[in-house]
Formats: sequence, structure tokens, C-alpha cells
Amino acid sequence: MKKAMIGAVCGVAMLLAAAPLWAHHAFAAEFDSNKPIKLQGTVTKMDWINPHSWIHIDVKNPDGTVTNWAIECGSPNTLFRRGVTKDSLPAGSEIVVDGYLAKDGSNRANGRDVTFRDGKKLFLGSSNPDAEK
Amino acid sequence: MKYRLICVAAVFAISLAAADQNSKNAIPRTPDGHPDLSGVWTNVTITPLERPRNLEGKEFFTPQEVVAYEKEHQRNRDVRQRGTVADVANAYNDFWWDSGTKVVKTRRTSMIVDPPDGRMPPLTPERQKQLAAEAEAKRERCKTPGCEVENSGMPGPADRASDRPLMERCLSFSNAVPMLPTAYNNDYQIVQSSGMVAIDVEMVHQVRWIPIDASSHLPSAVRTWLGNSRGHWEGDTLVIDTTNFNPEMSFRGSDENLHLIERLTRVDADTIMYRFTVDDPTAFTKPWTGELPMVKAEGMLYEYACHEGNEGMMNILSSARTDEKRAAAEAVKK
Repeated sequence: MKKAMIGAVCGVAMLLAAAPLWAHHAFAAEFDSNKPIKLQGTVTKMDWINPHSWIHIDVKNPDGTVTNWAIECGSPNTLFRRGVTKDSLPAGSEIVVDGYLAKDGSNRANGRDVTFRDGKKLFLGSSNPDAEK
Repeated sequence: MKYRLICVAAVFAISLAAADQNSKNAIPRTPDGHPDLSGVWTNVTITPLERPRNLEGKEFFTPQEVVAYEKEHQRNRDVRQRGTVADVANAYNDFWWDSGTKVVKTRRTSMIVDPPDGRMPPLTPERQKQLAAEAEAKRERCKTPGCEVENSGMPGPADRASDRPLMERCLSFSNAVPMLPTAYNNDYQIVQSSGMVAIDVEMVHQVRWIPIDASSHLPSAVRTWLGNSRGHWEGDTLVIDTTNFNPEMSFRGSDENLHLIERLTRVDADTIMYRFTVDDPTAFTKPWTGELPMVKAEGMLYEYACHEGNEGMMNILSSARTDEKRAAAEAVKK
């Protein structure tokens, strides 16, 4: 784990679209599209909570200190239907999270993609070969 | 003697037919002989409630059309543009949602089976007027500060918590009566005894209690979010009859007179065929019926912790008060 925080890349801000009808909270209110972030770290624990599970990872900072980040995920059954079980993310697993930073400045992000360090994707979310990866 | 032979032959034929029937429709049964509906089920599907206009006159897809429709659906969802609010708002771009990738296995093009055009009948003129008046009252109220945007994208009053939609108040996502799929957690656990059936709807931990007895509905003055249900068996079908809805609980424009009739038939080991009829003469110009299968699912249901950590309500109300104060201060300056 050489480089914990690989870096944030700026994106293009767009007008806030109406939140999906079924979303309980507007994700765009919680996470910042201007602050994409890539985090590499070690899983410390997983909270299986409805409506959103959380993956907690320890990320080593450039100065050698360690920060615990919480990554917001889908509901336990959404993960389960995609083949993710309690055995998929044991403590100690090294993962890369590609997501967006929380607006409130806390050490939280949403998980847009989660990838094992060897490049293997954890979830099989998309079946579309044309999708931008 | 001849009569006896005919009799034996007839009984034999009936038993054969019965045996054949049993092997085809081997469904689990409870000790009292009714189909056993218990277990965890899911009704996730991309089949829409109403038939899309471009599929007018088409009740079923062919297997080839199913493949094309599902592929197109997936393609539309997989648009991923990094660094956009849409990418964040779409909550991980359907990566974390579970709103289905397949049409129903009956290959219907809509859940609605009646009217035959697969679309909801119009609302009655009175109901349309009523809804328009409610919308106008909201618009009028929101000409002055103190309103906040609702999930619909339009501002709504935020004078008190009860002004806000049921979803924000964690009361219901309006997906339990009738039971229709939503963005994720389309899971239902049915627990059945001879006198009572309970259905736990994972989204959002709404438990429906359905007494299977000859009792009447509660007095009409008693109104609840999920209505008041009574069940009975018609052959192998559990029929659930629900009335007494809270006027605030509206399903696609229904009002407090909604009378919902649901029919659950376990058609095979893996499927319950679910049919629902919306009968609400003050809201709809005629009754309408939909159908979709509930399929056996693995796993367990998780409690939906909607209220816990729901800081949204406090923030919405305090934000509305801040807006009011700010507007008042500006008015004084002027």
C-alpha cells in the first residue's frame, strides 16, 4: 500500500436534477460530485444495515498516519442478490474504492466502484459492455 | 355387476386424473390443506405498471423481444458520466440498486391486465379537481418562504413534520398495499397460520396483518397507513380484502375509499402469482387490475432502519425556519 489516497479528480458540476422518486435521501446532497476520490485501504469492518451498508477501511496517509474511512453502499439484500456475502469482505481485505467525498468534510465517501487490489471487481453490477468503466 | 364395474372404472379414472394434477402442481401445503405461502419472496422486475405507448396493442413479448427489451433497458441505465451530480444522485449508477434486469416470466408488457390496453383508467373529474386544488394550495403556500423541495422535485410546505410526504416521514414508500417493486429491497416474508397471515414488506419494514376469519373490517372511522385487511380462501387462492386507508395514503391517485382486492395463488414451488384490483369509484372511472409473479428468494429480511439516523426531517424543518427568518430580516432592511 504505497499510496493510500491516489487523488481526487475534479469533475464538471451540473445542475441538481430532481432526486429519483424512490430515493430516501438525495445522494447529491450528501456527496460532492466535484470531489471524486479514490481510496485504497484495508477493510476493518462491514455494517450490514438497511437501507445502506457501510464498509469501513483503514487508509494510510502520505505522512504515515492512518485514517478510518466509511464507504456507503447499497442495502444488505441488494448486495446479497449480487452475490456479496459476509465472506466476501473479511477484515484485512485490501480494496480500492472509487467514489465521491461527503460534503460535510467527514471521512465518508460513497462507493461508485469497489475493486480488489489485483483488479478484480467485487460486484457484477453492469452487464453492458458499452458502459463507461 | 356391470354398474359396479363402471363405478370402479370411474373412480380409477378420477384418481389417475388427480395424481396427474398433483404431480404437475406440486405445491407445499399447510396441515389444514391450504397452499403454504410462507417464505421469502421477491417481485423485482423491469416490467412497468403501465404498458408503454410504443407497445400499444401488444400484451406479451416474444422470447426474442424479451432479450432486446432487457438489453436496451440495461444500456439506458449504464450511462456513466463521472464527476456529475447525476452520477452521485443516481446513487452509484444503479450499481448499488436492485431494481431488476428482467421482465416478468409471463412476458407481459405491463403489470396491468385490465383495462386490456394495459393502462390505468383516468381519474374521475371530481378527483382530478381535488388533486389540482391540493396542488394549487401548495403552490400558493410556497409563494412565501418556509417550503422545501419534496421528492417530486416540487416545493412543499414544511411548517410541521406532518406536512411532509410519507416517505420523508419513514411511514411508507407506498409500495406495500398493493405490493409492487421499487428501487431495491423488493423482498417480502410471508408467515402463515390457519387464522392469520403476516407479510413483512422489507421496504420499509411494513408488516401487514391479515386475519383469515369471517370478521368484518374495522369501523370506517378507523384509518391506517396500510388499511385494514381481511383474508379468505377461494379454492387455492388467498384473497385479501383491504379498506379503511388513511386519506394521506394514496396509490396512484386513489383516495380514502380505496378498496383493494389482492389474490395470491401459489402456482408452483417457486412462484406465487399476485393479482391486485384497485376498486375506488370516487377516484377512478373504473376498477383496474394488475398481475405479477412473486418468486422464491434466498436469504432473510433485514430491518429497515429508516427512522434511526433520519436527520433529514430535522434539517428540512430547520432549513425552512432559517429561510423564513432570512426573508423577514431582508423585509425589515427594505
